[in-house]
Parts: sequence; C-alpha cells; structure tokens
Amino acid sequence: MNLKFGLVSTDDHVQEPPDLWTSRLSKRQFGDRIPRLERTDGIDHWVLDGRALMDGAIARPGALMGDRNAELTRWDEVPAAAYVPAERLNIMDAGGIDYSVLYPTVAGAAGEAFAHLEDPELELACVQAYNDWLIEEWAAASERFIPQCIVPLWPPEAAVAEIRRAVAKGHRGVVFPGVPMEFRAVPFVGEPEWESVWAVCEELDVPLCLHAGGSRQAPHAPTHALAEAIADVMLPVNSSTLVTLYMMSRVALRHERLRFVFAESALSWGMIHLEWTSHQFEVDGVLHEPWTFDGVTHEGYEMTPIEMFRRQCYFNGWFDAVAPYANYFGADHILWSTNLPMANSSWPRTQETIERCLRDLSGEARDQVLWKNAASLYKL
Amino acid sequence: MEIKFGLISTDSHVAHDRTDFTSRMSAQKWGDRIPHIVEQERDGELVEIWAINGKPGRATERDLCNCPAFMGEPFPRYPKRWEEVPRLAYDPQERLKALDIDGVDAEVLFPNTGAPGMTFHQYGDPDFELDTVRAYNDTLSEWFRVSDRYWALAVVPMLQDPSTAAREVERAVEGGHRGVSLGSAPRGLPAITETYWDPVWEVCQQLGVPVHFHAGGGFGEGWGRTATWSNWSGYTTRQDHTSFTAGCGVGPARTIPHLIFSGLTERFPRVKFVFAENGISGFNYAIAACDHAWETRHLWTEGIKTRPSETIRRQMFGSFWFEDEGIKTRHDIGIDNIMWESDLPHISAFYPRSWEVIERILTGVPDAERRKLLYETALRVYQVKADGPAPAALP
Repeated sequence: MNLKFGLVSTDDHVQEPPDLWTSRLSKRQFGDRIPRLERTDGIDHWVLDGRALMDGAIARPGALMGDRNAELTRWDEVPAAAYVPAERLNIMDAGGIDYSVLYPTVAGAAGEAFAHLEDPELELACVQAYNDWLIEEWAAASERFIPQCIVPLWPPEAAVAEIRRAVAKGHRGVVFPGVPMEFRAVPFVGEPEWESVWAVCEELDVPLCLHAGGSRQAPHAPTHALAEAIADVMLPVNSSTLVTLYMMSRVALRHERLRFVFAESALSWGMIHLEWTSHQFEVDGVLHEPWTFDGVTHEGYEMTPIEMFRRQCYFNGWFDAVAPYANYFGADHILWSTNLPMANSSWPRTQETIERCLRDLSGEARDQVLWKNAASLYKL
Repeated sequence: MEIKFGLISTDSHVAHDRTDFTSRMSAQKWGDRIPHIVEQERDGELVEIWAINGKPGRATERDLCNCPAFMGEPFPRYPKRWEEVPRLAYDPQERLKALDIDGVDAEVLFPNTGAPGMTFHQYGDPDFELDTVRAYNDTLSEWFRVSDRYWALAVVPMLQDPSTAAREVERAVEGGHRGVSLGSAPRGLPAITETYWDPVWEVCQQLGVPVHFHAGGGFGEGWGRTATWSNWSGYTTRQDHTSFTAGCGVGPARTIPHLIFSGLTERFPRVKFVFAENGISGFNYAIAACDHAWETRHLWTEGIKTRPSETIRRQMFGSFWFEDEGIKTRHDIGIDNIMWESDLPHISAFYPRSWEVIERILTGVPDAERRKLLYETALRVYQVKADGPAPAALP
C-alpha cells in the first residue's frame, strides 16, 4: 500500500455512465427492460423495466457542481470526475485522498436498485454488468480504487455464486441492501435461509457493507434545497434500524468473523443508539430471552449490543467529531470517508474537515480512523 | 415553588381517573363516545380497557393504565382491571407521595397511552375532538390546583381552525399548564411546520410556554424510516419493543432538521422546543449534521440565516435519565440545554431509585453543572420561580 496523504476514504460513489447496461446486456434477451438513460421533453432520466430509477435524478455529483443545490437536467452537465476514473484521481489528489472505497449511485447507494426485480435473469444480468464494469473501468484504472460488488437479492445461491465470482475478479467488499424484506417477499434476515450469504462473506473475508438509505422521501420544505437538506440529515440515522436488525436477529452473534460496515452512517447518533439498545436489552428482558435457531435452543444472547459492535462493526464518519466517541465505539471501529461526489461531501475541504473532526485524538487513534482500520478491512 | 430535593422531571406521564372524561363532558351530547372504561375479552380473560368514541382501543396490556413503575414485583406488570390500578398513578394527592419517595420536586406531565390525549383527532370529528381535548386539559388543571409540583402540558385540538387551537392553548395556560405537547399534524392537513399553524406557534412564543415533542408522537419520525419495520415477523414482542424504544434516540435527528429547514425557527426564534424521551447524545448528531448541511449547501441563501447549532442552543432542550456515556458529551450538546426526566410511571423509569442512578451517571460532574442539569434549566425553561434557599445538600 502506498500512502501519500494518509487517508483511505471508505465511502465514495461512482457514477454509472448511460451505456453501462445497454452495452453489456443482451438487447435480444431483455429489450426495453435494460437500465438506460432516456430523454423526455429535453430532460434525461434513468429507467429500468418501465420504472424510474434514482427518483428521477440523472446523477448525484453535488460536490463537483458550482451550486450544490442545482438540479441537473441533461447528462452532458454531469462533471467528468463523477464518472471518469482518471478525472476522479485528480480530484482525489486535490482533496488528499489516497484510496477510495466505491459504492454505486444508479445501482443504488446500498445496491438496492435491482432488488425489486422479480425476473432473476434480468436482476443477475444487471448486477453482473455493474460488477464487471467496476473492475474493468475503475479497478483496472488504478489500485487506488477499491471495488465492492453488489448482489442479486434472491435466491441466496445466486447471491453466494455472484459474491464468489466478484471477489475472484477483485472485489473487496459486498454492498448489500440491509433490509431485503423491504424489496420482495423474502425471509427475515435472521432466518436460516440467509446463512450461506453471511457464511461466504466470512469465508472470503470480505466485509458486508450496509449503506444508509435505500429510499429517499421528499420532506416538506419551502424550497428544493431545504427539502434535500432535511433528507441529508435524516438519511444516516436510518442506519440505526440496520444496527438493531443485525444484532437483534443474531446474525452478528452467530457470525463472529463477519464484519459489518455501516456506510454513510456518521458517528454521533451511534452512542445513544447503542447505549439505549443495551439498556433496553436489559429492561425489556431481551438479553435473557431464549431463542431457537435451526432446531437448537439457546438460553439468551451471549453478548450485549455494544459488545457485538466492538467485536465486528464499523461506523463511518465524515463530518462529525470523533474524539467524544472513540473510546465508546473503539477507535479501531471507526472509518473515515469523504462521500464524494455527493452534495453532502466534505470535498474539497476534506483536510480542513479532518482537522476539525479528529482534533483531540491521539496519533495512533487518528491513524486507525484515517487509514489503518480500512487497510486491515480491505487488505491493502 | 419550593425546591426541596433539587430535581425536576421534564418527562413523566399522567394517568387518568376513570371518571375524568365522563364528569367533564356532556352525556347528553356525546353518550358513550365519551372516553370511559369498558370490559373486554383478551386471550380468554375479561379485562378492562379505555373506550373512546364508542369503541374500545387496542387491547394491549398497556392500555388500561401504563404504570409498571407503580406495580411492584414481579416487574413489569400492567393492571388488567381498574381495581388493580394503584391510586398513586391517577390520584394527584396520592402521587405527591411518589414524588417524595423518589426525591423529585416537580414533574412535567405528558399524556399516557390508553386515553392518550393527543390522538382525539383520529375520530375525524372536530367538535368531539375539541370537547375531549378540553376535558383532558381541564383534568390537568385540576392536578395543578392540587399542587404546583405538577407541570401539565396542554394538548391541542388539531381539527379546528388554528386560531381556535391557539385559544385553547391560552385557556389551558390560564388554568396552570406550563407547556404544550405536539405531534404530527393529522393526515390531510399541512405539516406542523407550515404557516397554516402559525397562530399556535405565535401564542406559544408570546406566552413563553415550551412546545414538546415526545418520542413516539410521530413528528418527523416516519420520515425516512423503513416503512414496515415494526411488522417484521422476525422480532419477538420484546425485541420489537426494544427496537422501537431504542430507536427514539435518533428522534432529534429526524425532528430538528424539519423545525429548522422548514423556516419555522426563523419565523419563531423565541419558541422553546423540548424533546422528551429522546435522550441527549442524539443532539450531537443533529447539531453536527444540520450545520454540515447548512454549510455545504449554503442554506443562508435559502432563507436560513442562523447557523443551525446556534438555533439549537438557543431554542432546543433534551433530557437524560440513563446515559452514562452521553452525559460526557454535555458540553458539546450545551450544558444549558439538558434537563432530567424520570419517565414515571413507564417501564423505563428508575423509580423509586432515581437518585441512585443520577449519582452514578453524574459522578465527577461539578456541582454548578449538576444543579443546571437537575433543576435550574427546567425552572428557566418552564418560567417557574423557586422560593426560598436552594437545596443545601443533595440527598
């Protein structure tokens, strides 16, 4: 690993170009159902199988725009650094970023865009096209890009096969829509049907990355920019539901080597969430509630939520202070990112933001947060 | 009022006497639509439960009287029939004993489940709503007449013209209420932050009474939360309760951006907001995230002139009761923005050992800060003057 600036940004987003799926999926087999950019009344928008993608947006490159609140109407307004790897490397240099862990945009920040597709062939083709493209266009362009694969949601055999295929091609993490039950009639994540998915991540030693969001609603506000700001603030705390879910369902408990990355989580809500969950585990009696899994009965949880967190979970900060939380979560369980090129990215004031947020942190803890934890997670 | 213990709870829950509504509403006009207690079968057992608008409510164990803290061992238990409901819960004279036992000078009273005060609009009848709301507020004025240690919150009729709602707030405050409890606006009406509701905000600002959002009250909470989460079949009842309850810690993160970025706090810079049962360290996120959005999106150009962290420190207050870790961040949140709550008589309350937990949590916190956290800030927020000397030694 080659560090010039001392920062591995663990949550950035690629922008998928208009021809990503049209150039890779069989027109004969899938016809008009292939994800693509269409123009209606002079306005570009993504469609998939007759449905809108991205809530009607073309791209999310706010940080690269002069006016972060501007609404794009045509693809040619999208800044190249959003979708051209060589251009992205330039702005990474400008922001002092050594490595960048990649999440999708059109395919869903949490890899959820294809999760509702009932046609397993179309779903798999869309997923594989993204995974192949990311290796061929981004990972091949520079080792500074850390690719992570997306997965077909169901059946688990398909997800497991795709994870194996993608990791063999060079993917280093698995982007998984944290609440699959929201997309299709599939079993609860705590059920045995999902075991093979968690097990393959453990076996291949790739983190399971649960990105905040999955759905954005439009809150009431006087202007578009203010509505977006409200959504921005609320989005990361949706991860609180995910943290609870993977602990409560005992997926974390049963898979001690499975590592969970809560991407775009921020840090500062996590303390009350874990303190309260741990407190409530006791007063509600969850801690000692017997449970049965795959025919075997257990006495209760063997660990509290905060213990599970410190064993195998990672929060991802990018604008809030680290020092007040470093002891509670453990500095070895905090990652740092820039969230490029989203409107809420710290770029180009990446370093200034780091100085403000990592103030009062010891040298070793600072290194852990900025690059060491990521280097170990992604085997750099 | 006299401060004897040096402790004020800014989130406790009233429980109703079974006659609170029947004695205050016209039987001729409303008949059996008046909130009253009826018998119902639950799991093969005859239990009692509140009926409102002629129909029994949800037949959950919490819905006759949610008061496990008063029920003793084994814990937690809920009364099934009226004769099991402890007088401590619903008789204001009796409940003073509970405050003395727990070492609490005064408590802010929110509605309870069962006859929940804030949801009378759900029956869609503006006149029925107004009369039940008035009966609720009048009941609480009666508590205030029993003792100034009860700080009641007025509930607001939502289906009337907002100026009628504002008059009801005024009437309640004249009757001794010290704040207002709000939730989401009913479906079909403008959001609570829109100018439609300005008469209500105006009267709260003018009277200086704080507006409260209690966890679970709905405002902002549904936004962005996965739609079906409470229906996940994978959770047991206990897991579901833990998941829902602990999820309230991020409540301020969902509510505060609405209050600020809707322009409401720009229009009403002197309205005080109190967040109940949300804990405190979630404010750190709301402060950091709202400032970050304001800075990166240049929201001063969109009419939000004040930096969100300044607005939050000027107008918003939270309360702690179990956070060993959260209290360490009190200066990040703002030492003048934090109060204490008991959540009496709910499952989360530490009653009757509130002080024991407070001593544990506040270990090492200087006395001047302790006083602010435990009662001084509450006196200021609720505009109450303490008579006599400050408590010399804390129990």
